Amino acid sequence: PASATKPRKEKEPFEIDFMSPLNATLAESIYTPASSNTVISLPKKDWKSKTRNLLPDDKHFNSKQLLRLFLKPKARMGSRKIGFG
Amino acid sequence: TQISSIFRDAQRTTAGHRKLVINLRKIQEACCYEPTSKKNKTGAEEFDEDQFTHELTRCVLRVMPVKKSESVGERSIRFIGLFLRHANEKDNELLPENEEDDGVMVETPSTRLTSYVMNTILPLLTSKEKFVRYRSTQLIAHVINSLEAIDDDLFQLLRHGLLKRIHDKEAMVRVQAVLGLGRLAGNEADGEAQDSDDDDSASGLLERLLDVLQNDPSADVRRSLLVNLPILPNTLPFLLERARDQDPATRRALYSRLLPALGDFRHLSLSMREKLLRWGLRDRDENVRKAAGKLFRERWIEDCAGTAENEEGETVEAAAGEVKPPSFEGLLELLERIDVVNSGVENGVALEAMKGFWEGRPDYRDAVTFDDNFWDTLTAEAVFMARSFNDFCRNEGNGKFEALVEEKLPEVTKLAFYLQRYITVLVEALKRVAQQEIGEDEEEEDTVEQEFIVEQLLHIARTLDYSDEAGRRKMFALLRQSLSVPDLPEEVTKLTVEVLRGICSPDAAGEREFCSIVLEAVADVHDTVMDEPASEDADESFHSARSEVSGDGTPTKSSKNSQRTEEEDQEKAIREIMVNMKCLHIVQCMLENVEGNLQQNVDLVAMLNNLVVPAVRSHEAPVRERGLLCLGLCSLLDKSLAEENLTLFMHFFTKGHSALQITALQILTDILNTHGAHLLDTNPTLLKVYLKALKSGGKAPEVQAAATVAIAKLMLGRVIADSSTAIDDLLKTLVVLYFDPSSAHNQGVRQTLSYFLPVFSFSRKENQDRMRKVACDALHKLFEVQETLDDDGDAETEMVSITTIGAHLIDWTDPRKCYGSGIQLTGGDEAASKKAVNGDVHLEFARDLLEKLGSGINREEKKLLAPMLAKLHISPASTPALLKEVYNEVSIAIDDKLIADATGRN
Repeated sequence: PASATKPRKEKEPFEIDFMSPLNATLAESIYTPASSNTVISLPKKDWKSKTRNLLPDDKHFNSKQLLRLFLKPKARMGSRKIGFG
Repeated sequence: TQISSIFRDAQRTTAGHRKLVINLRKIQEACCYEPTSKKNKTGAEEFDEDQFTHELTRCVLRVMPVKKSESVGERSIRFIGLFLRHANEKDNELLPENEEDDGVMVETPSTRLTSYVMNTILPLLTSKEKFVRYRSTQLIAHVINSLEAIDDDLFQLLRHGLLKRIHDKEAMVRVQAVLGLGRLAGNEADGEAQDSDDDDSASGLLERLLDVLQNDPSADVRRSLLVNLPILPNTLPFLLERARDQDPATRRALYSRLLPALGDFRHLSLSMREKLLRWGLRDRDENVRKAAGKLFRERWIEDCAGTAENEEGETVEAAAGEVKPPSFEGLLELLERIDVVNSGVENGVALEAMKGFWEGRPDYRDAVTFDDNFWDTLTAEAVFMARSFNDFCRNEGNGKFEALVEEKLPEVTKLAFYLQRYITVLVEALKRVAQQEIGEDEEEEDTVEQEFIVEQLLHIARTLDYSDEAGRRKMFALLRQSLSVPDLPEEVTKLTVEVLRGICSPDAAGEREFCSIVLEAVADVHDTVMDEPASEDADESFHSARSEVSGDGTPTKSSKNSQRTEEEDQEKAIREIMVNMKCLHIVQCMLENVEGNLQQNVDLVAMLNNLVVPAVRSHEAPVRERGLLCLGLCSLLDKSLAEENLTLFMHFFTKGHSALQITALQILTDILNTHGAHLLDTNPTLLKVYLKALKSGGKAPEVQAAATVAIAKLMLGRVIADSSTAIDDLLKTLVVLYFDPSSAHNQGVRQTLSYFLPVFSFSRKENQDRMRKVACDALHKLFEVQETLDDDGDAETEMVSITTIGAHLIDWTDPRKCYGSGIQLTGGDEAASKKAVNGDVHLEFARDLLEKLGSGINREEKKLLAPMLAKLHISPASTPALLKEVYNEVSIAIDDKLIADATGRN
């Protein structure tokens, strides 16, 4: 039984053709092992993460803080101008 | 044949899998067993078991090279798993009953088949092709998870194979490997005691998976592990740690999947609950915040509400998914479980949690009642429930809940009555504590709760409507009276002053009334304690008796007299300091709420001269420092006072410890913000203060962080104007600081700048141009930093590449991103209007870069700068003359071989 792979149209959803036997290229791609373990593995240096992939503590800096005085957090900056004297 | 057509159908949809499995099983039976009946022939009888195995394996192999994105692969693998499981079960059913209990696995056609398929797939785990590795790992993981029992030798092989793949180069393979191993780790951990002699025993496996959980660079891998690892006492800390994972989806998975599945949250430690709540509700990512909020108001409450109900002996368990009726006992317990006395203070997380709770639970909102009995028997939890409800109704929903609060909360007079009662309780408790010997901490805990109750009541009082005159007068008198109690804790004092300010009218007359009433109270505090020496004679013996007991040596009679007066002097001095501190604190709280001009308020002037100025001159450091703060606050109200004392504040910065330095910086910054930055230009030393503070990262990172925030404020508020001589220096320093590895551990600095720098650049055209102006110098500086770093060979401190820094600078100066660059004027067609943006900034940047390249910088630096030219945005809407000029310069540069031609033009 030779290559019985049906010509598939581009847009058609992909299906596995279980009917046909394994052809050589497919078999090769399946059975070829990697030349060495390192080729298919993550480099050792990436095994450890300095931060443990954790975020630092958030300081929650935001625009509201920018508009406040340090000493008088309740008073908005510039509110004095429209105040009284 | 039939087998392959079954597979063909199976890949299309999972819906028919059941049927297909049964069909395939029939074929298997026909091949492997003697025909028992001739009736249901399948036509497969002429084949034997080997042929069946072979054909099935062939089909399995066909799945192996399928790409990850193809769903047929996924479906096929699920089908294979389902079939193997079904076949094994059926075989076991056929076994004679008595043999099943042996615990020994009996070989059946299906176990033979399983082994054969698995042994064929195993070598593919190390295939060169990533998709083959992916599918084979997926299949093995799936089979391991779907079969109840696997031959032990085979199992070890599979396990070993998967274990190797947890460090595969491809994240998708690692995901499958950990999926396969996750459940094993749980099973093995159970039986760990029995066979701990294994070379890589169960704890070894678990350890390695936990290691992956912490360290794998791919968030998908970490997330898969998070939801698949067994929840055990020894895995839990590692799992919970993911609440701070870098990946938002992983953090969310913890809140939306792991934690709800965890069972009763009360098994978690108190501090862990608080952390999880705080991290979740304040996460950077909105979806994480939502998931955390949902967890709190839908899961945690049910855990508590459930028990509350059980204790009452009513309904046992509500049906799954059914919302239980509101249980306020449950809610109170929930608040207790998150330690509301501590998490309910200002900036604590409980307020946010409850805001979300009231928001998401209209059933509780409607059912809640606060009757007289409720107010008579307040606990920390109860009062917090009322306070958070009050906050929610007044602040959320654009006033649509106002009616609710009117209906449920008592009026001013009544609240003042309760407030009075609990203040009395608190003051009495404080007195008892003061009279007690140290060591009995039970009483102390009591005042913590009483303090908390009073604080919460004051929080409610702050929001009330004081148009009712009787209520207003009652509250006013009560607060005025409480304020003169010297023992009143600081937070309570602060809130009392704030409520008082709210009661007085917001105009200038109201402010005068407020000041005079507070200062009256200050005078009272001063007098009450200073009067005490008169009555001291009475209990003098008590004092001396006590000091004798507590003193560790037995004083000789001759020295006793002088010692006593010495001690008395000391005590008196301490008391004076305490009184002073208390008065200054009240004044500080008052000044925070005052806005009018200082000189026009005689009370304030008197206070400044009689209390604040002497305090600043005090020899006692705490008094002096608090005096400084008050003087700073006064300076905000009076420009000439600020100018007079500028040098003093700078002096405190130069000489003070880091906390004092921060205070000084903040005072100076507030003064600049209030009175204008010309002070900065007229006082060159002031600029040096800021620059010095920015460079203090090594010694005092907090000071550096405070300075960063301070300058960010000044620059964004345009207090440091464009005309200021200082601005370029400051901006350059900030840019360098942002990328300088020395600030890597100073998150305060980094996070402030990561907010500030883009906001500053994009907010105004002038700012963007300023950024452009300092960019080259900053780059040069950073280049130097990197070189010295390389020389030191310091691998500890990592620095982002100059290329990345350049990309940031280009981005910040991108004219298309600047607000007000014409985009909002044209509106509509955004793409077109973006094209029309004047791109002079980047042209100027190009010119700067060219100039730099033409100067005497070294080759390494040139190599880094040249590619930046290509990344600049050259807009056709730029000034033609400038466009031409830069073009000429580029041409010259290319002719001179200054740069490689790679930097093309458009």
